[in-house]
Amino acid sequence: MQSQIVFALIRIDLIIEVVAGIIALMVSHYANVAFGLTRQKKLSDLSTGFLVLSAGMFGRVIGTLYFLTDPANADRVLGIVIVAYGVMKIMAYAIFITATHRGQRKYHSNYAMAALALPFLTSPELDVIAILLLIVVVLQTLMNYASVRSSFALYVFVGFTLLLVSHILGMINVIDLQTYFIYLGSQLAQFLGLFSFLVMLRQAQKDE
Amino acid sequence: MSRKRAYRSKVRILADMLRTIQAEGEDGAGPTKILYAANLSHDRLTQYIEELIEKELIKELIDGDNRSYFLTQKGREFLIEYRKIERLSQAFGIDV
Repeated sequence: MQSQIVFALIRIDLIIEVVAGIIALMVSHYANVAFGLTRQKKLSDLSTGFLVLSAGMFGRVIGTLYFLTDPANADRVLGIVIVAYGVMKIMAYAIFITATHRGQRKYHSNYAMAALALPFLTSPELDVIAILLLIVVVLQTLMNYASVRSSFALYVFVGFTLLLVSHILGMINVIDLQTYFIYLGSQLAQFLGLFSFLVMLRQAQKDE
Repeated sequence: MSRKRAYRSKVRILADMLRTIQAEGEDGAGPTKILYAANLSHDRLTQYIEELIEKELIKELIDGDNRSYFLTQKGREFLIEYRKIERLSQAFGIDV
């Protein structure tokens, strides 16, 4: 009975992850379209960040499905997928730091390239790194909101804040069903964070 | 004390010019109006107007010595798209 509940929860987890991945892909697409028109490099970096994030999410879903279909041989694959997922998230957040940093003239694309290498130069405590990076992103988006006071900037600030909450909740070790519920809460926070970006996109795409 | 002028990308300047022309409505905008509103030098103005005409975003009407510029349908659509991109960029703190 309990194993059925666990499998049902894993399915919910995967559905949430797939939808979140699709939303991240949509943001990436619109940022890329915006880059195509404006040639603003930061929009290209923003697009790359969301693309890396969505690829990590889809990778985790595929890895988990592989685990569910062949659990006996999937240990190593799942281990790699989990580490790769954490690394890809960190890469995405590092790119967001450079993309959402205000100020144009001092910006160089080399920052984004250096940010991509960050996960390989630091400790394996991926969630801690992700949290630290996200704190910077959240503060930058808060400053942006304080500066422009638009609802679009508020959605972005709320989105990144929820992603931060998701990582804080995600630090808990899953040892039983109760702790898995907390982990699901972190997945839900991540989903709501990306949903906030989706609402922002929808609002921004409206004709006046 | 010197004040730094904010950096404007080319696409932003073109959008500013189109907005000026749009604001003038059916009367169209003359070059002087566009020059002042978009804060451009005469050489830059001539260069960008040629580009806008070439891209069919505006059309030119010559009446004797007077020149007026009007927004085309493509120009109106460009401004709508640009506004959407501006909102998206602004949301992430990116200047376009």
